[in-house]
Amino acid sequence: MIPPVNPPMHPKWRAYLIGMLAIAVFIAALYVPVLRRRLHQAKDVPTVSEEQARRELTQTSPTNPNGPVTRARLFWSAGARDGSLMPVSIDLPLAMDPAPRGKQVLNTLLAGPIDAELRTLPPDAVLLAFYMLPDGTAIADFSEAMATSTPSGIQSEQMAVDSIAKTLEANVPQVKWLKILIHGQEVDTLAGHLDLTRTFLVNAKATPMPQSSAPIQKSQSTPSDVSNPLGAAVKGAPKAAAPGAAKPAGASQKLTPAATPGKLAPPAKNP
Amino acid sequence: MKIALEQNGFQVIQTRQGNENPSFDDRSAMANAQRGAVFVSIHVGSTGLPGTARVYVMSDLPSAPETNGLIAWDRAQAPFLPLSRRFGDMVQGFLAQRFKGSPLNSQAAAVRQLRTTAAPAIAVEIASVAVDDRNVLDRMAPGIADAIARGCSGFRPLYVVAAVNPGDRP
Repeated sequence: MIPPVNPPMHPKWRAYLIGMLAIAVFIAALYVPVLRRRLHQAKDVPTVSEEQARRELTQTSPTNPNGPVTRARLFWSAGARDGSLMPVSIDLPLAMDPAPRGKQVLNTLLAGPIDAELRTLPPDAVLLAFYMLPDGTAIADFSEAMATSTPSGIQSEQMAVDSIAKTLEANVPQVKWLKILIHGQEVDTLAGHLDLTRTFLVNAKATPMPQSSAPIQKSQSTPSDVSNPLGAAVKGAPKAAAPGAAKPAGASQKLTPAATPGKLAPPAKNP
Repeated sequence: MKIALEQNGFQVIQTRQGNENPSFDDRSAMANAQRGAVFVSIHVGSTGLPGTARVYVMSDLPSAPETNGLIAWDRAQAPFLPLSRRFGDMVQGFLAQRFKGSPLNSQAAAVRQLRTTAAPAIAVEIASVAVDDRNVLDRMAPGIADAIARGCSGFRPLYVVAAVNPGDRP
């Protein structure tokens, strides 16, 4: 048996087929650069980091979303590269209680301005907890990223703390002092320079905390609230004035130390 | 910088010679063991207007009188704050002449290193690591050294070390 032989393709159809293939190759050649560009753009889109995802999960929604909208003032960089800050007004449904109110404004500060260049705090940092003590001390507990992602340097670290302090001063009148913790712990410095063992003066004329408040007023619970080391950390911290709140220097021409230097006590050894 | 200061008659003790990384307290201990010394901390910052330099002095520290006659290590800078401000303003003035855009006066900040230093103490921050060309920073070094040396020289007549009883200080 001889198998049936396919009849040869008509030359006219063969020409059509080759023509169609050529057109397909041409279109593909045009489309490849477009695809490559889209792939490149997709690569540039920042992926949501673990800290950002965590922030979204732990972020408290506004306490009174239907309540009156307040014009909050947030302090971000003025963009002058001299460490100066600029207030930006934003309408927010702020809570009346100082602790949730403080948490709201600090979360908005962390979210950053429209122009990312004007950020004062690292985008990955998360506010883990925010407390108010009866004496008007606000405790802001940030995630590790606050220490590891803040640019190292006195100016940049000072700007970060100033933006937090000024934002609290403008929006939470009960805050007198600010204490910053990193992951629930007191740390030596923010990013190598600025002293975080101290408290910072926010508002010397702060409104007293309401008497009806609990001894420690907490913002909404977050995982770090469970093991809050607040008491020990804050008690050991000396009260100090904020940066820039310096007393005028002595007017005399001959200067001597304000107090006669005596012996120096040895540094406290941490266990 | 060491050479510039020594040419002006100062003895210079560096708290680090190479890549070692002494602690804040180790550095303060070296400074506090000296008599009639000033402390200058120099580093390059991450931000700031490139080509400028800023002098920082410690912001106010709480005064906590010690009943046992000892100065608390954690607040060793407190008695020296007026001196530090005077010294800082002098150095900053010379830096402003050299590097346009630098502030005219020193600024206060809670600099950890300065807090435990029992001497007039300043921190000089040079802007910045963000410059594209490292040579920009290298070219600033002689000017920084000269400004600090001139600041030290100008400050020396104002710095009178209080008389203390023998054995009061190491």
